[in-house]
Amino acid sequence: MDVLKTLFILLIFPGGLFVLANGMVYEWADRKLVARLQNRVGPRWFQPLADLLKLLAKEEVVPESVNARLFVWLPIVALAGVLTGALYLPIAGLQPSYSFSGDLIVAVYLFSMLTLCTGIAGANTNNRFSLVGATRTLTQLFSYEAPFLLAMLGPAVAAGSWKISDIMAYSSTHPVILLQPVGFVIALIGLMGKLEMRPFDAPEAETEIVAGALTEYSGRGLALFYLGRYAELIAGLTLMSAFYLGGIHNQLDYIVKTLVLLLALAGVQTLMTRLRIDQIVGLWWRYGTLLVLLQWLVTLLLKGMVL
Amino acid sequence: MSEAVVQDKKRFVVPIGPQHPALKEPGHFEFTVDGEIVTGATVRLGYAHRGIEKAVESRNWTQSLYLLERICGICSHVHAMTYCLGVEKLAGAEVPPRAQAIRVLVAELERVHSHLLWLGVAAHEAGFDTLFMYSWRDRETVMDLLESFTGNRVNYSANILGGVKCDVTPDLASAILKGVDFLEERSRHYLNVVTTDEVFLQRTRGVGTMSKEVAERLGVVGPTARASGVARDIRIEAPYAAYADFPVQIVLAEAGDLEARFVVRIKELFESYRLIHEVIDKLPPGELQTRMPRKIKAGETISRVEAPRGEAFYFIKSNGSDNPERIKVRTPTLCNMGSVVATAVGHQLADMPMILAGIDPCFSCNDRTVAVRDAAGALVTWESLRQRRLAHQENK
Amino acid sequence: MLVDTLRSFFQKPVTRLYPFERNASPERLRGKLHWNPDNCTGCCLCAKDCPSDAIEVITIDKKAKKFVMRYHADRCTYCAQCVQNCRFSCISMASGEWELASTSTEPFTVYYGNEADLEPLLGKAPPPAVDMP
Repeated sequence: MDVLKTLFILLIFPGGLFVLANGMVYEWADRKLVARLQNRVGPRWFQPLADLLKLLAKEEVVPESVNARLFVWLPIVALAGVLTGALYLPIAGLQPSYSFSGDLIVAVYLFSMLTLCTGIAGANTNNRFSLVGATRTLTQLFSYEAPFLLAMLGPAVAAGSWKISDIMAYSSTHPVILLQPVGFVIALIGLMGKLEMRPFDAPEAETEIVAGALTEYSGRGLALFYLGRYAELIAGLTLMSAFYLGGIHNQLDYIVKTLVLLLALAGVQTLMTRLRIDQIVGLWWRYGTLLVLLQWLVTLLLKGMVL
Repeated sequence: MSEAVVQDKKRFVVPIGPQHPALKEPGHFEFTVDGEIVTGATVRLGYAHRGIEKAVESRNWTQSLYLLERICGICSHVHAMTYCLGVEKLAGAEVPPRAQAIRVLVAELERVHSHLLWLGVAAHEAGFDTLFMYSWRDRETVMDLLESFTGNRVNYSANILGGVKCDVTPDLASAILKGVDFLEERSRHYLNVVTTDEVFLQRTRGVGTMSKEVAERLGVVGPTARASGVARDIRIEAPYAAYADFPVQIVLAEAGDLEARFVVRIKELFESYRLIHEVIDKLPPGELQTRMPRKIKAGETISRVEAPRGEAFYFIKSNGSDNPERIKVRTPTLCNMGSVVATAVGHQLADMPMILAGIDPCFSCNDRTVAVRDAAGALVTWESLRQRRLAHQENK
Repeated sequence: MLVDTLRSFFQKPVTRLYPFERNASPERLRGKLHWNPDNCTGCCLCAKDCPSDAIEVITIDKKAKKFVMRYHADRCTYCAQCVQNCRFSCISMASGEWELASTSTEPFTVYYGNEADLEPLLGKAPPPAVDMP
């Protein structure tokens, strides 16, 4: 029975199919929202699924002069990383499948696997666009990762625990978004950086470097990277609403809170121009990190005063 | 040659084109980069050479009009008008003033459509897709106006040798004025966006700056030149068609960067709206066409028109027969292309699509003839190509 | 820009879903060419100035002024030069007929003329298409 249950958790809910299907729906919602904000019609509801099926049905071309084993395994590792991370999250308002003290750190780092794998995948190929894209991907990773992690740890510090369920319990009773508004904004923008959404899509700026690090990927590999990004969208939204929007208590709670966040993401995407990579790095290190550290200081002081 | 290759291996060259998402038409750019900074740039054109100039020689004067109109899909009226003005000058024909005014009207509507199109493309290159979608949505207004005015959205065929085909009816005049008023309000909004949106300004202010001296040295034309403070506009220097009756105010900016090019082009839109109003208000009465002979008197002439991108230049030579003997076309993109290479160095790779879009390039228009040189540097002629092919076949 | 995006969020999208929604074509739209044989004198000015050789005027009986027209819609550039050239207003372009795409080449060769004049032409197989110069 235990084995069956574990398999179910890993493959169907919440680790496998559910997160992927949910991710596709949210990806569609994001595209549709952006389209409506731009006064367009936008895609039909099955568009991400159709894209996925098309890519899976296509031949996967492994270019010459790449390490073929690395080329094939990187997308798998990336997707596995994100899905494993999702196991520690209260996906769809249910209790996390696994939990231990300090799981927040593990989850956040598992979510970085996707970006890391994308970067390595780009550096693995001999394509100039991929190489430039990989450099940008990794540069961006180093710039947003620290502030994003610090912003995520803000509620953890306030809650005094590094366990996701503990932090959620804390945020259910405290209005974290009011106590740490800067952290919320930074975490939201950091999530956009993670998902390479505009204005942080310099690593895949199509008018400059085609598809960036993934230029040489086609078929199955590309589909897996896309799936990884969909899953990461879900994971990021869940984490954000659990920490900053008062926790997730039931399914309706989950849908409303994540969709509100998605609407905010779509709005920022519509209103922004793509930033250059040097501007991104400047933005994060000059403002993002400093602000989030300031937020930490305030949080610690507040906590000290309350105690 | 081998030395160049060895050098190439040391440098990191990012090729853009002939097929690339940033380019809507084929052209090839090689940017040598050091990290993200561009240290060298070269351009190679000629991928869309269609042999129009040669094909024109085997068509009669009327048929040539429609072929030349298809040089450019955006400024098709400009090409047809330049050709017509030149041929009418050769034939000594007096074109009725109403026809000339309608030519100006179509040309200005076309400039509106071209500049709005450019605004969208440039915003897209910068990654500002919302502005792209909005400006193209509003551009539909002028496209619909052109369609109901001339009968087609592109390749309007408004011109005919000796006049124009379409007249302005009162209904049409009020529709055009209404559409233009709507666009004027929208353009004001876009001018506000491109001069105040902080994030967008980070991508345009101080990027691709070209000083007045450089612009003059490179012989840059059109809005690209006017954004650098070079007062160069054929509509003012050598008024053609009805521009002498409807004078144009020149729009100048001093900065010479991408922001200035945005501002100049959008302000030119206001000038176009004003002209459209004026032409419709003061449309001279009279005929639309004058009779043209089938054979044009022997002689040669040049004809210059201010296209949305700058000066379009035609050389027309007749030997007194049904067909043109030689027609030479130079489109504004060719004059402006040098400025891309000149301003690219020192900027970020991410700015390259923007700098390229800043001149509003139209590759297929400017691809005329290609001079191919062999390894020794000698010009490859038609005959030597034929010999090479024969030799190749024999070897097989 | 923010106001713009908010407004368009609550607006209907401007995209026209083409095959399901059609806009009325403007009166002056240059669509498929139509030819009325009644006034034709057989001067062939339309064919002579056609930039894409889309018009062939076939003489059946010169004295009785019997002509038919073979029109190649696939070659036509819809420039309306023929409409301008015709002194007897035989040629017109239908503004309503602009959806001319087809998966076969047959609908693109159109014959115009009196039925009696056309019979001998249509009875036998159409001649092979002439290559463009």
